[in-house]
Amino acid sequence: MKLYLALILLLPLSGGLFNALLGRLLPRRLGEVVACGVIWGAFACSVLAFISFNAPEQVEYASWLSDFDFKAPIALYLDQLSLSLTMMITFVCGLIHLYSVGYMKDDASPSRYFALLNIFVFAMLTLILAANLPLLYLGWEGVGFCSYALIGFWYTEEKNATAGRKAFIVTRIGDTALGIAMVWMFQLFSTTSITELNGMGFLMPTGVITALGILLLIGAAGKSAQLPLSVWLPDAMAGPTPVSAQIHAATMVTAGVYLLIRMFPLIGSSPTTLAAIAIIGAATAFYAATCACVQRDFKRILAYSTISQIGYMMLGVGAGALTASTFHLLTHAFFKALLFLGAGCVITALHHQQDIFSMGGLKKQLPAVYWPFLAGVLCLAGFPGSGGFFSKDDILGAVFDQGGTLYGTLFAVGLLTALLTAFYTFRMLFVVFHGEASTPLNHQTLTPDTRSAGRVEPIMTITLIPLALLGLFGGFLNLPKYLVSHGLLSTFVASIPGFSALEHASDATGISLQIIAATTSLLGLGLAWSRYTGRRRAESLQLEDAGLHFTRFFLNGWYLDHLYNLLFIHPFTWLSRFLWKKIDESTIDGTLNGLARITMRLGEIPAGWSNGRVATSLIALAGGTAALLGYAVWSLM
Amino acid sequence: MIVPLEQILILAGLLFFIGMGGLLAWRANLIMMLVCIEIMLNAVMLVFVAGSAQWGDPDGQLFAIFIMALTSAEVSLALAMVVYLHRRRKTVNTDLFSEMRG
Repeated sequence: MKLYLALILLLPLSGGLFNALLGRLLPRRLGEVVACGVIWGAFACSVLAFISFNAPEQVEYASWLSDFDFKAPIALYLDQLSLSLTMMITFVCGLIHLYSVGYMKDDASPSRYFALLNIFVFAMLTLILAANLPLLYLGWEGVGFCSYALIGFWYTEEKNATAGRKAFIVTRIGDTALGIAMVWMFQLFSTTSITELNGMGFLMPTGVITALGILLLIGAAGKSAQLPLSVWLPDAMAGPTPVSAQIHAATMVTAGVYLLIRMFPLIGSSPTTLAAIAIIGAATAFYAATCACVQRDFKRILAYSTISQIGYMMLGVGAGALTASTFHLLTHAFFKALLFLGAGCVITALHHQQDIFSMGGLKKQLPAVYWPFLAGVLCLAGFPGSGGFFSKDDILGAVFDQGGTLYGTLFAVGLLTALLTAFYTFRMLFVVFHGEASTPLNHQTLTPDTRSAGRVEPIMTITLIPLALLGLFGGFLNLPKYLVSHGLLSTFVASIPGFSALEHASDATGISLQIIAATTSLLGLGLAWSRYTGRRRAESLQLEDAGLHFTRFFLNGWYLDHLYNLLFIHPFTWLSRFLWKKIDESTIDGTLNGLARITMRLGEIPAGWSNGRVATSLIALAGGTAALLGYAVWSLM
Repeated sequence: MIVPLEQILILAGLLFFIGMGGLLAWRANLIMMLVCIEIMLNAVMLVFVAGSAQWGDPDGQLFAIFIMALTSAEVSLALAMVVYLHRRRKTVNTDLFSEMRG
């Protein structure tokens, strides 16, 4: 086990270092093979770890930080949660790496790309497997850094570099909260080990636990793009599409949810914290869903859908349904990776066109993309029977079971969001793949060299298939209670503290909830169908293309960016300008310049005397003599 | 001594300041400036001689002779330079010479 765990981390790290140090000297193919190979190697190791797994285990490798009471060894903790996430991450990232080989085949700096991608996986795995908070934080910041570098991968365009910086800075706000929480926890409990911390929550009054929980929530909100720190994710689409897939599916954004699940035994004892988590989750889910309904950039729709789905996971955590959240995290990873990779295929085929209104009728031209993409859409929309349906319904069911006004409202919001989700998901599908082609692909009429740019590599479509299958049949991971007595995942994770399965009130409630959810999803499908197919398609598209007043509100993400501009950036730039112009330039520089000017003027007086004229020297001589004499006389008297 | 030392010193001082005033005022003519310098030197010589006579010490007179020799050498050099300058610049007005400007 010790070896497997070490390999899971070291393989991606060594792959990243290999590509970073030697990648440019070696043939391109070798770098790609190494990059993909190490991730699949890590996957193999996690499967081996799964096979030999029988109980949660902590493995200590070396001492890292050690000072008086403070100890943070390089120690990994493997339990059912981290094991299932590790398998998911290595698998999904492995596919994304393979896909990247096709997607980035014309890019000029593949070694930088693959090095960052590998280190990204390494950082995420460190985060997942860390046994103590400092090590987790190392992974946490590693993910942040890699996302920054990869979002701004094509940094020659100002827009992309800005998006990278935005992602880094916004998540940093959350990171600060997490850092404070970490230090505070050490001060309170004198330990940084996650398992020990989780067992010590009862020592502290509820108020302290609530404060810690809120701090962790802010950290999670930054990483997982929850309100009010969600603004970085839509802009993060500037990176290459496989990077978006990796950020959204496997690494980075799920880190926040993972942190909350991991620390749940500690923070879960405070109902205030749980309510805050649930409210943030539901609000974000709803907010992002409304935004996704009117977006016209293919990848932005998916970005908002990610924010929305992560909101569901948060809602699940807030309702105490950790199994359901983990379940949704896993299925979401599969189908969101699938959707992003599918979108990448479409975008490649259309020569980096991302506006869905200039797409259409791609079903016939890209069948190899259409069918897997359809599977992803079904999952995201929660179509009955798909993986996403079961996982989302688990969360909604758990929220419903909590009862009370608050959770009742949140349940209603969740259901409304499910409706919106189904609507915008199918809208995306219908607009892109159905109807008439508005810009023909015309592989045939293109000249040979442009054809290669628009060709979808076979490896790109092949990677979609396993993801589609996992997404569609992901429901089998954790079937609801009325179908099987114990879901696979529920049984697997049941022994982790905090995961104890919530009892559904009854099978009847469960079934009726599922029926409600299924109806909601179908309703969304029907709405999208009536709007974006057949005769009304052209009309709706034209209407949306023109842009209504209220759609613009959603298109700009409720003007959240503008709000932040107004609240933070404008005052900050004003203050900076004030300090720069008024304080620095006027006061400080002005004083110095004034002093210099006075000195110069003073210097000009004696400088005028050295004009080379004999008379001046003579007068000076006489004056000097007179002065000396005068002094002599004065001192004599 | 027939003439008291104070009176000689007053005379020497007058001479010196006359020379100095002339030197400062008569800048338009280099030769006149040389004359004024001579007057100042002579004032100094007068002080030496007066001192020598007052205290009966020949050193002051020796110095006076020394200065005379020195002055004649100086004047001959200075006049040669004046002639040379006049040849170059066609003027002996010192206000027009400012090559020494720093």
